[in-house]
Amino acid sequence: MQLQSFDESYVQRLQQGDFRTQEHFVAYFSELIQLKLRSRLNSPQAIEDVRQETFTRVFIALRDGKLRQPDRLGAFVNSMCNNVLLEHYRSTSRDDSLDDEEQPEIPAANVDVFGMIAAKQMKEKVSQILEEMPERDRRLLREVFLEERDKDAVCSDFRVDREYLRVLLHRAKQSFKSLYLKNVAARPPGAAAVGKR
Amino acid sequence: MDHDEAVRQKATERYLLDELDPELRDQFEEHLFDCQDCALDVRATAMFVEQTKVLLAEPPAPSALKEPAKTAARARWLAWFRPALAIPVLTLLLVVIGYQDFVIYPKLTATANQPQIGPWASVNVSTRGGSETVIKTHAGEGFGLIVNLPPEDGFTSYLLELYNPAGKLEWSGPLTAVPSDEGRQIYVPGGNRAAGAYKLAVLGLTPAGERKEISRHLIDLQIQ
Repeated sequence: MQLQSFDESYVQRLQQGDFRTQEHFVAYFSELIQLKLRSRLNSPQAIEDVRQETFTRVFIALRDGKLRQPDRLGAFVNSMCNNVLLEHYRSTSRDDSLDDEEQPEIPAANVDVFGMIAAKQMKEKVSQILEEMPERDRRLLREVFLEERDKDAVCSDFRVDREYLRVLLHRAKQSFKSLYLKNVAARPPGAAAVGKR
Repeated sequence: MDHDEAVRQKATERYLLDELDPELRDQFEEHLFDCQDCALDVRATAMFVEQTKVLLAEPPAPSALKEPAKTAARARWLAWFRPALAIPVLTLLLVVIGYQDFVIYPKLTATANQPQIGPWASVNVSTRGGSETVIKTHAGEGFGLIVNLPPEDGFTSYLLELYNPAGKLEWSGPLTAVPSDEGRQIYVPGGNRAAGAYKLAVLGLTPAGERKEISRHLIDLQIQ
């Protein structure tokens, strides 16, 4: 997924139904929407429902020319996602369908060959970063992310503060980011997120 | 929230650690969807976290496992058998053994098998009492005591006891009854023996098993 600027030209291509641009758009914002929703929704199916509904409404809104500021495309998607999420909360209790409107076809987010190669490289890089960490830091990450223990309790057990955890993650990110960026830039437009199921 | 504030607050890390309160989280997300730099940061960090979870969930490779203390202790002990250490040690042992076998042992054997000249004294055991003898030796040199038993006196055997100048029993040994004209020698090695008044006690054993001191002899050892 190459980096592209969200400008008037980009929005015009989306409105005209340019498939490659649509692929890029869906791949780019799918990751952000999923990250946003995972702290708010428990079910993967609910996350997928909200994601698809968000894109459906965004494409309809773009087609209807409702986006006034092309450079605020990201904020527009976020706002649309918030609306869909609120409706999802309401509809959950009523068990209603989200939308009966005609839904345009949304490009699928499948794992591609480039993504598989990139995933392997990234896994190796993460493995290298973890191996270079002190054993204590690896255990700390394990208990926070894998075992999902209460972070305050984990930090107390390891006699560190929450800032230590942030800095640990920050440093790992800095080590990992260059490879991630290289893989992201090398991938063709619309390629799905690495490791996405 | 603008980009500088997001960076300053480590918003990416706090966002993925679920540390932002709802208001800040909404503000950061509004910025995140518009800022490709922050989006890249969040996606890269999220990818790192996902891969970390996968890797940490896998069983550790045997090579990465830390060996238990017992194994480490055994490894330290076995380290003595590493060629780098074992070969020089074995070579040194072979040299020492060779020196003992080919130099020291033959010399000691030859010395032991050769006649030796040294001081001696005669001790005539008699029920009438003891005697006093002077023996002059050199440092490290032993001496001999020729013990002459009395004629028929009713004892089946004898017991000899040697006391050092401090009065401590240094040696004790039996002596079978032999005719009075057959003397018996006691060789007392030199070693680090000190000069002074040694005592040789002669005890007789009756047929009933009783012990009876026959005589006590003073040996004045003088080391020159």
